[in-house]
Amino acid sequence: MKVFFRRLALYAFALWSFFPLYWLLNTSFKTSKDALARPPTFIFKPIMKNYTEVIKNNEVWGYFVDSLIVAFGTTLFGLLIGVPAAYVLARFKFRGSADFGFWILSTRMTPPIAMLIPFFIMYLKLGILDTHIGIIIAHVGLNLSIIVWLMRGFYEEIPMEIEEASYVDGSSFFQTFYKIAVPLSMPGISAVGIITFLFSWNEFLFALVLGDSVVRTSPVGLYGFVGYQKIYWGQLSASASLLLIPVLFFVFLFQKPLIKGLTLGSFK
Amino acid sequence: MKKRTLNHLPPIKQLNLTRRHFVKATSALAGAGLLSSYGLPLYAASNVDEMMKMYQSANIDWQSQKGSSIVLSGLEHPWMSSIEPLLPHFNKLTGINVQVQKQSESEYVAEVPVKLGAGNPTPDVYMVWSYGQAANAGWLESLDQHFDNPNLFDKNWYDLNDIFDSAKSFPIWNDGESYVMSITAEAQTMFANQNMLDAAGVGVPTTFDELLSSGKKLKSGDVSGVAMRSKADGTAGSWPGGGFVFSNGGVIIQDGKCMLDSPEAIEAIHYYGTILKEAGPLGVGNYHWYECLNDYMQEVCAIGMDSSNFATDIENPEKSNAAGHTTYGAMVSGPGKTAKPNMWHWMSGINSKSQNKAAAFLFLTWANSKPTCLMSSALGLATTRTSAWESEGFKSAFGAQAATAALTNLQNADGKIMKDCWFHPQSGEILTPFGIAINEVVTGTKSAEKAMTQATAKINKAIGA
Amino acid sequence: MSQFRKEKNRFIFLMLMPATILLVGLTLFPFIVSFILSFTDYSLLRPGQTKFIFLNNYIELMTTDEFWIALRVTLVFTILAVFIQVVLGVTFATLLHNENTNVSLLRTLYLLPLAITPIAATFTFRLMFNPSLGVLNYFMKLLGLEPQAWLASPNTALFSLILVDTWQWTPFILLICLGGLASLPNEPFEAAKVDGASSWQIFTKITVPMLYPFIGLALLFRSIDAFKTFDIIYVLTSGGPGILTRTLNLYAFKHGIEYLSMGYAGSIAIVMLIITIVVAQIFLRKNKLLQPKDTLK
Repeated sequence: MKVFFRRLALYAFALWSFFPLYWLLNTSFKTSKDALARPPTFIFKPIMKNYTEVIKNNEVWGYFVDSLIVAFGTTLFGLLIGVPAAYVLARFKFRGSADFGFWILSTRMTPPIAMLIPFFIMYLKLGILDTHIGIIIAHVGLNLSIIVWLMRGFYEEIPMEIEEASYVDGSSFFQTFYKIAVPLSMPGISAVGIITFLFSWNEFLFALVLGDSVVRTSPVGLYGFVGYQKIYWGQLSASASLLLIPVLFFVFLFQKPLIKGLTLGSFK
Repeated sequence: MKKRTLNHLPPIKQLNLTRRHFVKATSALAGAGLLSSYGLPLYAASNVDEMMKMYQSANIDWQSQKGSSIVLSGLEHPWMSSIEPLLPHFNKLTGINVQVQKQSESEYVAEVPVKLGAGNPTPDVYMVWSYGQAANAGWLESLDQHFDNPNLFDKNWYDLNDIFDSAKSFPIWNDGESYVMSITAEAQTMFANQNMLDAAGVGVPTTFDELLSSGKKLKSGDVSGVAMRSKADGTAGSWPGGGFVFSNGGVIIQDGKCMLDSPEAIEAIHYYGTILKEAGPLGVGNYHWYECLNDYMQEVCAIGMDSSNFATDIENPEKSNAAGHTTYGAMVSGPGKTAKPNMWHWMSGINSKSQNKAAAFLFLTWANSKPTCLMSSALGLATTRTSAWESEGFKSAFGAQAATAALTNLQNADGKIMKDCWFHPQSGEILTPFGIAINEVVTGTKSAEKAMTQATAKINKAIGA
Repeated sequence: MSQFRKEKNRFIFLMLMPATILLVGLTLFPFIVSFILSFTDYSLLRPGQTKFIFLNNYIELMTTDEFWIALRVTLVFTILAVFIQVVLGVTFATLLHNENTNVSLLRTLYLLPLAITPIAATFTFRLMFNPSLGVLNYFMKLLGLEPQAWLASPNTALFSLILVDTWQWTPFILLICLGGLASLPNEPFEAAKVDGASSWQIFTKITVPMLYPFIGLALLFRSIDAFKTFDIIYVLTSGGPGILTRTLNLYAFKHGIEYLSMGYAGSIAIVMLIITIVVAQIFLRKNKLLQPKDTLK
């Protein structure tokens, strides 16, 4: 009985999560008249036009590639920079470590409006406007706080005996870190990696202001379908639906570690 | 490196045309003797020479900026959509390469101030959404000196008389110089579903009271009588609401002071709110042009009052169920007053920090010239030239009755009172409280008197009146 | 200093350096600029005529109704939204954790809101909320309920926004909790079952307390982000009806980007920052999350 109710709740929540996406998919197969019809149509004559237009549209492929480069770059560099910092904060107490940790957190607190023009000017002067590396740097900065704090949480769950044993055996700090700590936390790393990937893939504001014609990620590009006194629903919904495929693919690839991962040692 | 070049021209369908329009456009131009007698498609390379002749008759050295490159920036807009396909011709004529940057309106309005505020030399030419803002911030190049340059401009060939008066007066800033050029013309126009009017036995309303009573008669069940913009935003109700104020003998700004608390203005917005409360759809308070237009096209709303530009969508049977039986009408007037619809000219200007000003100027005058307007209006663009509006090409693309109604409204509009508000350097701080006040009246949160009086106080404080 | 100490310090320094350089480089300049600007009357309309007006922006801020209304709206939105999302996230993470069929499928479905391009999702909601053409009211009518004005009505606008935000961000909390749950040892649960505890008792007395640090992290990050919510509000209601859904971030945006008063917008941003810092500090200290519990010797 309990199982029945639990399943009911789980599937209801799944329906809730899926419905707007279902509506989006629905819309992508409709003509513009059907998309806004009253009453809303669930059964209709589907058209493939939106998809063929989007697939033929080189720009949309461009958005996809740009998003891929930026999201991957962000995840890679974010982890490279954030994981070591997290390890140190989890393992060592030193003067100012609490404040340092909080400072990292505070970088996430400023409302973007305060950062837009200064960022733009910095990037303009440094000549990295409208470059992939530029946006990657910005995204890493935006997400470092969560990478560091989450990984710190995971490291705090890993028992220290193995590392302490390694020190006793004479390994240096660095060796212990990358030979033992990192592999042990792989699952945690992939978890944080996915979160970072998703954040970067869907980030809009900075990709908009710091990118332009050369680098146009998908959130920015898809916004172009919201025209002046016109919304290109067909292409918007088709592109968004298609873009889900690579994202879900990557998430699926990392799912096992994701779950096993947030999973570690014992918890006192 | 991937750059946005002309290769990404939107397919014709995206320009909201059908094959029908396209063919009509070319035949219209053929009729006007502007195409070769082979009747080849407009943009075929073989026709380029014919068209070049139209430009080369001008006393302008088109090739003087050959080899330079300019960046044209704009929002997703009919003007951009009609000019883009013609850019290869411009390139052939002048040797200037044009790079196009197009964004959605919200994106554009948020991003361009950041760029211009940081002193960027590009874009060289851009669509100006707030003249007051751009001029005051020094983001625009004065055009007068270029107009006076005989190498860059030929007054006779350009034929200034052909351009609407308001389009000519709009760009004149309070220091007497022009910093932009008008590129489109639109006016507040009524569109009414004739079938629904006939079924309810009402005629096309001409006054506020008639709009209210007809609207109530037309409202039944799930179908609303009238829908107009009311979202709590400076871009929503302020423009149509402003037209109501003007058509009731009021003004928004006079001599630098906000006059929205005058009896005429309060009465106008009281009507606006009442019409929508009693004849409008559920949730009209959150309606923007998008919701208004959709409701109308799906025939769940009988009457709308918005920009004449919507005619192209409304008459498109692929998008609209109301195509073919819509009557376009003049703006309604307040009791005992004359109708003064609101209107708008989109404008384009040259970045004051541009490094290719002469090339940018050549582009602007080319885009606004008679031959180019003839071609772009054949695609349905509402240009600023009478010749273009009266051409067969435009009439079939836009709709003859729609064109007549829009023209009437354009001619009845009072450019000055509109400019006093919309070109105020702090127009944002005027239009947003105004739009929010309209929203509060429409949702019934405040009475028209309270909402407008409070908004006026706030606006006057912000603009220092 | 012992060799060990020196090596330890060097290690710590090197591991922290890249992160420090990056964050200092990226955030220091903008922060200083915004901080200084907030004491001026800088407007993009009059770029050369900026004057220091010291605390005037802040004084004006504190004395306008609009600021306090925006603050209230932001707090109500943040507190309600995060609360609902945490409850839902923890609950469904637990339920899913105890489930054994179709778990992968369910997990994927739950992640969808985070995977979809936000602009497409937001416009889909705009369409679904449409009072005359949208599918939500269609269902309301089917169920015999009154169709609502949703985003247009003072009564339902904020709630509708919280609904959208919840849809979008509950998966974030769910993900973190799911991981936390998988890391919990089995013994306490088994022991409790043997003792005859009910599911509810297990949930409240064992699961939640043990999951606490993860819930705390999720709650912290979600709150920081929810406080700054912008996109959905901008697209769906523009802060309306009236100014009933205008949060501080929207308020800052209006003054900064629409009115071009960057000095004033800067002061709003600084106030938001201060509030966030204070609340976060209180939260972290109370839950002792600022420092690690044990460290290496």
